[in-house]
Amino acid sequence: MTRKRHRLTPVVVAMGLLAGSPVLAEGKLNIYNWGNYTSPELIEKFKAEYDVDVTLDGYDSNETMLAKVKEGGTGYDIVVPGDYMIKVMIGEGLLAEIKPNEMENFKNLDPKWVDVWWDPGRSYSVPWQWGTTSFTVDTAVYKGDINTLALLFEPPDELKGRINMLNDMNDVINAGLRYLGYERCNGNVEELKQVTELLLNAKQHWRTMDYSTIEKLTSGDVDLSQNWNGAAMRAREQRPTLQYAYPKEGFTGWMDNVAVLSDAPNMENAKLFVNFIMAPENAAMISNFARYANGIKGSEAFMDEAMLSAPEIVMPADAPTPDFVQPCPQETVDLYNKIWTRLKQ
Amino acid sequence: MVDLSFRRRRMQDLRKQPGFDQIAIACMFVLYAPIVVLVVFSFNDNRSVVRWTEFSFRWYAAAFGNDGIRNATLVSFQVAAFATFFSVIFATMAALATTRTPAFRGQTAAYAIINQPLMVPEIVTAVATLSFFAILKRLTGVTGIGYLMVAHTVFCIPFAYMPIRARLEDMNLSLEQAAADLYATPLRVFWRVTLPLLLPGIFAGAMLAFVVSLDDVIITLLVAGPGETTLPIYILGQIRRGITPEINAVSTLLLGLTLIFVTLFFFLGRKRT
Repeated sequence: MTRKRHRLTPVVVAMGLLAGSPVLAEGKLNIYNWGNYTSPELIEKFKAEYDVDVTLDGYDSNETMLAKVKEGGTGYDIVVPGDYMIKVMIGEGLLAEIKPNEMENFKNLDPKWVDVWWDPGRSYSVPWQWGTTSFTVDTAVYKGDINTLALLFEPPDELKGRINMLNDMNDVINAGLRYLGYERCNGNVEELKQVTELLLNAKQHWRTMDYSTIEKLTSGDVDLSQNWNGAAMRAREQRPTLQYAYPKEGFTGWMDNVAVLSDAPNMENAKLFVNFIMAPENAAMISNFARYANGIKGSEAFMDEAMLSAPEIVMPADAPTPDFVQPCPQETVDLYNKIWTRLKQ
Repeated sequence: MVDLSFRRRRMQDLRKQPGFDQIAIACMFVLYAPIVVLVVFSFNDNRSVVRWTEFSFRWYAAAFGNDGIRNATLVSFQVAAFATFFSVIFATMAALATTRTPAFRGQTAAYAIINQPLMVPEIVTAVATLSFFAILKRLTGVTGIGYLMVAHTVFCIPFAYMPIRARLEDMNLSLEQAAADLYATPLRVFWRVTLPLLLPGIFAGAMLAFVVSLDDVIITLLVAGPGETTLPIYILGQIRRGITPEINAVSTLLLGLTLIFVTLFFFLGRKRT
């Protein structure tokens, strides 16, 4: 045993030397957010205001972030998980109960985002950006009413073979469930059978299933694509005849939330940051960069003109309320997985 | 000699076979056309990576002005330089130990262990490294980029090892034996005879290790801590939110750099022989 320990010592010492002395984390803040999602001006302003040194790293999915955070000792303070992931992480004790609801700027939070199912009363997290997942259609190609999921599942002739779906199990299956008028997180085998048939039949009209919606639409590869609203807006800027649909059968809403890890090395700075982003002018900075809405009242006054008039960001009054889908029980996920596997064959 | 001329004749015959040119051109096209597209669109004056508007250096300026890209590039090069340096040292030692000693028990096992990062699926190594480092961090309280550098060194070793060992096996033992005959100590033989002859192998190994480290995604994704985003991880993070030609610009610069490297080594290698 002693011999083994001796062999490890030089390695550990070498690592320590390489690392310098980041153990003493004073005046630091380490943010772990989705890639290309954080406004650089926001970070600069926070640095200047609080004299805190900020590092920013990006991840590509909630699951990557969770895998790292679960092992502990990542050194990150701030993470920005999606709605369902907040619930999972609270359940596993990974998030610190920082009580944003007692912070100075909490009054700016739009009341409709306070009692959300993933963090009722907001004891752990505050909104970063929220948006919707629906689809974009080229109105020069299809002239009819676009606000229906029928365009995805029983497309008119001009859209057949011109459709891109997101390569995302939940987004595709939920759209199918809505079209048939069934509940989300559905464990009813008979109803799921109908959904499977619907999807398998519709698949012949789909050209691709891919996340790169902006590229697909702007290159003219497809004329309809399942899409996030912020991406829809950016695609429209390059192809003005595109329009974002608010289907009458319903569509998905999602929210990414700022939270603090329970083992955050810089807890106080992290709390400062959470309070900081609830100020309207700061929330507007995030939106101007990431191109989604932020959930902070009064931020509109600081937002770019192009966003305030964008039908993708400002929902029309007659659009249905977005549906924030809860995580499904494991049995349902298993059924969904089976459907997805068949669909992708 | 006979063997060599035979090989040459066979290669000539192969080139004359019907369809050789067409297949070669098709392969070249598939390999290089995407890179050409990438380079062309790095000069596009538009946010799109698929629709051409007009020529501009806009995205190069944007890439240079982007802190995220600058830091990621810097981290990538730091990690790759460290990993290359140490993996080449370890690989050279391992190659000497497996070629310049009499066959020993467990030699096959030694090969297998050295080449382990090539055999084990990368995701397994990544998850294992993640857990191992998490424990180490908790026990020692030490954090920092050292962990990432060590992880890279480990998977670079077999890539550096292969060309070095191949070179050692090709080298004639008689020069080293002659030096020893003339009373050179083993250390002197190594510095004056073995190492100079081995240098091309070491260069090749270093280049491979450098590129492999620069390329790595999965292990880095799981091991990197705060402020340790490498370029591939940065690019991966962009995908969900749409890739901009900034990434094309950076990739083009990297491509140019690689070309310079390769050309440099080509001319260095030619002089030597």
